[in-house]
Amino acid sequence: MSQQGENSYSEPERRAQERLQSIDTLKAPIIQMGRDMGYEVIENHDLGAGPVHITWVFKPGSESLPDMRLGFICLTEFSNSSINEGVARAMLNLIDKLVFVVPTETMTKEIKDAIESMPDSSILQLRKYVTVLTPSTLVSKQGIRGARERESSETGGEVI
Amino acid sequence: MAAQNMNLERLIEAGEEKGFEVEQNAEYGAGPVDVVWNINVHRALPNVKFGFIVLGGEEEQQGGSKDTDDNQLSLRKIEEATFRGIRSGLDKVYLVTENEEMAKSVSGKIEWLASHGSLIRLDAISLGLYPDQQESSVIIPSQKRVPEGEKIRKEKEREREEKFDRYNRPQGERRDKESEEEKMERELKFDENSRPKGQKKALGD
Repeated sequence: MSQQGENSYSEPERRAQERLQSIDTLKAPIIQMGRDMGYEVIENHDLGAGPVHITWVFKPGSESLPDMRLGFICLTEFSNSSINEGVARAMLNLIDKLVFVVPTETMTKEIKDAIESMPDSSILQLRKYVTVLTPSTLVSKQGIRGARERESSETGGEVI
Repeated sequence: MAAQNMNLERLIEAGEEKGFEVEQNAEYGAGPVDVVWNINVHRALPNVKFGFIVLGGEEEQQGGSKDTDDNQLSLRKIEEATFRGIRSGLDKVYLVTENEEMAKSVSGKIEWLASHGSLIRLDAISLGLYPDQQESSVIIPSQKRVPEGEKIRKEKEREREEKFDRYNRPQGERRDKESEEEKMERELKFDENSRPKGQKKALGD
């Protein structure tokens, strides 16, 4: 019965289904991690420019300071048009930093290269706005201190 | 496809007529740009790049219907094309559509996207155009376009509010502000006009 149901999908429909499924798989750990870290987590944040899959809203704790929004867009396959679209959606939805979440390390490299290969004359320096990673990298890097943080603790500095 | 070719030829001719260096199907690493005009403003200054991207009606990725059927191109397509141009290092990205209605719709959507207050002002970079366009493609807000009309409308609104205020005040309030003379005149009129017809005539005689 279920097999019949599966067969009734046309090829593009089946591909779209698979894509949605893999996006859900990529999203799940990010939602969980955002909640664990105490951020406000918004799924499919959209001000009108199209959905940003996950957004973590960081509130600096003072009314006079604006909220910071970290947006996650999941990409299941590499293409320049999907990068263009993702960056557009994030910027136009007022996301402060964008993270592309991809399923494999190979794809991470492809997207990083595409973003860094922008011409010098471009008004945007996307490498300052976009980070690319896999969910496993995100999880495994939890708890590892950055170089600056290490330095400051070694020199007795205080992280404010 | 034929419509797209026609658009491109007109754009290429127009650029060459103006003496610009014209590139066709340029690829700078972010996807194809149909036509690029390299404008040499001055020897001392870098070239200014105008890019033209033809927006097609087919929804290639999702196998959906044509979104040109109702002269509306999707936001997704507009965003993608504009950022393709920005990532390609273009100074201006013009989105070329089949007809005037679609061009206006694209410009309107760009304005709308820009109105959210993003870091990047999309309307300062991108605009919708159609091949036969002769007049300015910049959308002028109605306040600037018809300032007189706006004034008239507000004047009428004020007048209407004044009238409303005059005739719809609660009765008690109106009486308080009435002078003795006005009160007498009002009562006299009321007396004259409220009597049955026959009686009035009789009094008049």
